[in-house]
Amino acid sequence: MKWKKTLDWLGAHLALLIVCFLFFFPVLWLVLASFSATGSIYDLKGFFPGSFSLSGYKTLFGDTTMYDYPNWLKNTLFVAVGSSILGTVLVILTAYTISRFQFKARRTLMKSTLVLSMFPSFMGMTAVYLLMVNFGLINRLWALVLIYASGAPMGYLVQKGYFDSISASVFEAARLDGASSFRVFRSIAMPLSKPIIVYTALTQFAWPWSDFILPNLLLKNKDKWTVAVGLMHLDETQFTRFAAGSIFIAVPIVILYFCLSGFLVTGVTAGAAKE
Amino acid sequence: MRKRTSFLILALILALLLSACGGETGAGSGGTTGTGPSDTGPADTGFQGDPNNPVILHVLENDTAKAEGYLEALLTAFNEAYKDRGIQAVDANMDEFTDLATNGPYGYGPDVLYQANDQLMRYAEDRHILPIDVEKLDCYASTPEAAWDAFHMTLDGTQYTMGVPVNVQEPMLFYREDQMPSDWQTRWDRDGNGTADFFENWCDLYALSREIHDADPNKFGFMVSMNNLYLASPFMLSFGNYIFGEKDGVLDDTDIGFSKGQAVNGLWALRQFAEQMNEGCIDDTVTLNRYEKLADGSYFTAISTPDTYSLFLGNLTNRYKQDGLSEEEAAKKAVENLKMVELPGKMPLNGDLSQDSASIAEDGWTTTVVMGGVNGYGISSYTKYREACLEFVNFATSFDMIKLRADTLGIAPTRSDVAAQCGDTADIIFNSLSSGRIYLMPSIKAVNQIWVPCQTVMGDVAKDPFRVKQGEAAKYPGTAELQAALETIDRNIYDAIHTLAG
Amino acid sequence: MEHSLLFLTAVKSPSKRVRASAALMGLGQLMARQWVKGLAYLGALAAFIAYMAATGVRDIAGFFTLGTVEADPWLGTAGDDSIIMLLRGLLTFVLILGLVLLYRSNLRDILETERTGAYGERAPGFVLSMRSFLNNKFYVVALAIPVAGVLVFNVIPIVFMILISFTNYGGDIVPPKLVDWTGFESFRRVLSLSGIKETFFRILGWNLIWAVLSTAVNYFGGLALALLLNKKCVKFKRFWRMFPILAYAVPGFITLLAFKFLFSYGGPINHYITAAGHSAVGFLDIDAGMKARIIGIFVNAWISIPTSMLLATGILSNLNPNLYEAASIDGAGPWQQFRQITLPFVVFSTTPVLITNFIGNFNNFGIFYFLRGGLYMDGYFLASDTDLLINWLYNLSIDNNYYSIGAAVSLIIFLITSAVSLSVYVRSNAYRREDSFR
Repeated sequence: MKWKKTLDWLGAHLALLIVCFLFFFPVLWLVLASFSATGSIYDLKGFFPGSFSLSGYKTLFGDTTMYDYPNWLKNTLFVAVGSSILGTVLVILTAYTISRFQFKARRTLMKSTLVLSMFPSFMGMTAVYLLMVNFGLINRLWALVLIYASGAPMGYLVQKGYFDSISASVFEAARLDGASSFRVFRSIAMPLSKPIIVYTALTQFAWPWSDFILPNLLLKNKDKWTVAVGLMHLDETQFTRFAAGSIFIAVPIVILYFCLSGFLVTGVTAGAAKE
Repeated sequence: MRKRTSFLILALILALLLSACGGETGAGSGGTTGTGPSDTGPADTGFQGDPNNPVILHVLENDTAKAEGYLEALLTAFNEAYKDRGIQAVDANMDEFTDLATNGPYGYGPDVLYQANDQLMRYAEDRHILPIDVEKLDCYASTPEAAWDAFHMTLDGTQYTMGVPVNVQEPMLFYREDQMPSDWQTRWDRDGNGTADFFENWCDLYALSREIHDADPNKFGFMVSMNNLYLASPFMLSFGNYIFGEKDGVLDDTDIGFSKGQAVNGLWALRQFAEQMNEGCIDDTVTLNRYEKLADGSYFTAISTPDTYSLFLGNLTNRYKQDGLSEEEAAKKAVENLKMVELPGKMPLNGDLSQDSASIAEDGWTTTVVMGGVNGYGISSYTKYREACLEFVNFATSFDMIKLRADTLGIAPTRSDVAAQCGDTADIIFNSLSSGRIYLMPSIKAVNQIWVPCQTVMGDVAKDPFRVKQGEAAKYPGTAELQAALETIDRNIYDAIHTLAG
Repeated sequence: MEHSLLFLTAVKSPSKRVRASAALMGLGQLMARQWVKGLAYLGALAAFIAYMAATGVRDIAGFFTLGTVEADPWLGTAGDDSIIMLLRGLLTFVLILGLVLLYRSNLRDILETERTGAYGERAPGFVLSMRSFLNNKFYVVALAIPVAGVLVFNVIPIVFMILISFTNYGGDIVPPKLVDWTGFESFRRVLSLSGIKETFFRILGWNLIWAVLSTAVNYFGGLALALLLNKKCVKFKRFWRMFPILAYAVPGFITLLAFKFLFSYGGPINHYITAAGHSAVGFLDIDAGMKARIIGIFVNAWISIPTSMLLATGILSNLNPNLYEAASIDGAGPWQQFRQITLPFVVFSTTPVLITNFIGNFNNFGIFYFLRGGLYMDGYFLASDTDLLINWLYNLSIDNNYYSIGAAVSLIIFLITSAVSLSVYVRSNAYRREDSFR
């Protein structure tokens, strides 16, 4: 029996090692590449750069005449934080309402969102561009915030699942005490929803943080670019700069995700699991 | 119960109305493509603005010009010269390939743009760029007809010039002089003209490549991304084939000629030369790694365009610095060592590169034709200051500025007076353009559709030798298959252009 | 129906005020001395009329003509921009719809006022009525902004795209040339032109296989990983879980570009293959065929498995461990336990997620755009054998400007996918449970 357990242990850990290697090697390669001295991907001997240096990071922040990374970072931060705050408010509000209130258009709303989410999004991009042209909102960072936040309620399902799982009796008790709908939302629902708010804020932050298509469409001037747009426009020979730039924007997300991985599990699960 | 819903709808509709009205003021009158003050008179270079409140021109240049500091110099010089005439030029600060057709009509495009002729001319048909009265320009007389041709468009029987040429681009061979075979003067210069044979004809370049590759499997005599129509164009355009035919002096996009003439021999040569390369020639690997691989000696020669000279130089300098040379010494040594020449001029007519070049009679050769482009300035139709733009273009194509551009960026100018002063390479390229060795990218919109079909088939053909090496069956063993591949290109391009048109 | 009934009731109403409101929105409210409300209705009507007079009427006309004067940028003559006209016409229609709804609410409001007799002195103050509205109709207040946002940035673009498919926009007909309504012409061409029809069905086939396969791989891969991490013998779970989360956190476009390099001829994988004495493998080149498809599935799994692992971890933690104990007392082996307990439980509670994932994979644009863009294969019209319908759409409408054809194709796909997933969703357990909503 004991050898069977050992075998099980060995097998499990071997599998884990393989899986973790598979997940780790592209990231590792990118990290190594960002420390390459020559700046080119083809200087790498397989995985490892011919020589290491910090020059990738130095040029990223120092040499800004062509590629103003610090500025892109600032823009990205503005868009991502703005969308995260506004988007989270809208999603939570939508999900809470659809979960807790019974009204006539509810079913229709739920079905329409499902159908709408099936339309290939870039097919509407021409229209979004023309809308923004029509309203004079090209080259405006907050216009991006507006679009990201407006689209956010489409993904309300996960949050709705979370609110569904909160026992209805909590809310009923408060209603009986005479609390208004808004008070119930603010004083009862919100404190209970910390995990899902964190999860929502994180996902609403991560999407604009790494989206390329929309900012590329709406931001014409280079000084308005976000990091994703800038990195995609880097010259092909600037690989080390690309890798360094990528690592640098991945790191905050990775840290956030690690710190909040508990909330992540709650959040992702909420969309599906029921009591 | 329901009545109070009204407030919300009320608020919503008010918001919508407000935003719609706001849009109204923000984007001018509804549904029109206005262009500001209209000026229907002929372009005239007598612009006088208000020096205290100058008009601002947004100039879109290419990234290299920006990175090397040329744009800065150009703008400073222009603004100084036109201070009193009330014109100020600034960097448009956009991506170098910003699409004028989507941005220009709504007022977000540049005023003046610098692009390759195929890029610029795709705007011409829909009138996104203005015809230019070029005869008044400073550069008119010294620019050859062949360069102007790149910017000509015939519309309703009238010929318009839509751009002002600045420089010629064509694929060139880059190499390190210290990598030349030590005995090249005795072994590789049979005609004794002081130029190595492998820079004069393709058979000897092939022979040299084979020698180098046989001696060391990790070294290659000649490398190019074979799937790149532009860079590998000598194999695609030297055999009497063409891109678009001409009808009544106008390009005809229903007549596609990649398979015409003796095209199949060129594709055969492409397939043959791929044998002396590695798999990197199938995709764009070579295009990306040529700078390092040339610097570290893995490739003896590689094809690239003149505007990438600074990238080769930078890599070679780095290499020398790693060997322990000081910054200055490394740069000096790199400049001395890095050479750029035109592609070998003679291609065997039957496409068989393995022949001994001495055994080929004079009429067994054909002249190498490479694809090239003319880069130049165009003026957006949506600019508010047409004359001011013309002033800028005139200034930017003046002798001094083109000379500075050539010195800073190593480009081959189209102005004959500058070319004559810029050393051999510029002069040679200039002459190639005039003599027809450079096949200019067709200046019509349909040219957009030629790249991907060619890329797909060329890469597939280049892969054939590697299939054989791996023990698989060759997909293109003979001329019949290659001819079919070329016809596929023609058909796919035709379909892409015409299936859905009209 | 309901609307005209309401109108008839109002017109035939014995009350002057109701008839007044039916004739002029807000008038009845003013007569009932509900000043704020009445003025708001009247103001909205005035703003609407002003808007219609200023541009609205012209926009509606423009919607039908799509322009009559072609602009000439050379001469600087302003002309009609058909596409902007289409969009502005659409916006005006939305406004008209809004006004109709507002008018209806105005009738409802005045009828309600009459019914309760709460007018004049007895009417609750505006502030008070707003407050009670907020309390009783919290959902309307809460959903107004999200719905408006979705309407403007999601619904209008989609309707716009659907309208485009009934025009000849694209190809040579782009502004400043004038676009025209062409009815079902685009659809006819998609279904009749030889190259296009074959390409459509060829890609559709692969697209379906891809969506099913990659959804299954991601789903079960994540489940397997979660089970592995859940094993009692595995220590340092946080450490092991770090790696998939790392993959989760790196932005997608970076991952995809990195994978493209990794699998290219000059990339590290081929470096080691050639160093080991084999010849390089063209993972993603023209005749890679199956290889490229498998790599696509692998890369997609790399990106998606972490999410489904987190999902499965969460769900497994909800699973009652007593079930397993009972099962093992009954003598069920690990495999049987998995099949009898774990799998049904997990699948049962994740049907909506599965549907979302399936749609996401069906419309997964990034994978093959980044890994293998820029290839048109023989037998495919402007596409390659790994392209999904969405990539083809992109090639058609963005790369080659055939907007109306692209819109028609996307409408066809849209009809198929939404019909399928809607019917699955409505049958799903999660949705049906909604019937027993508290």
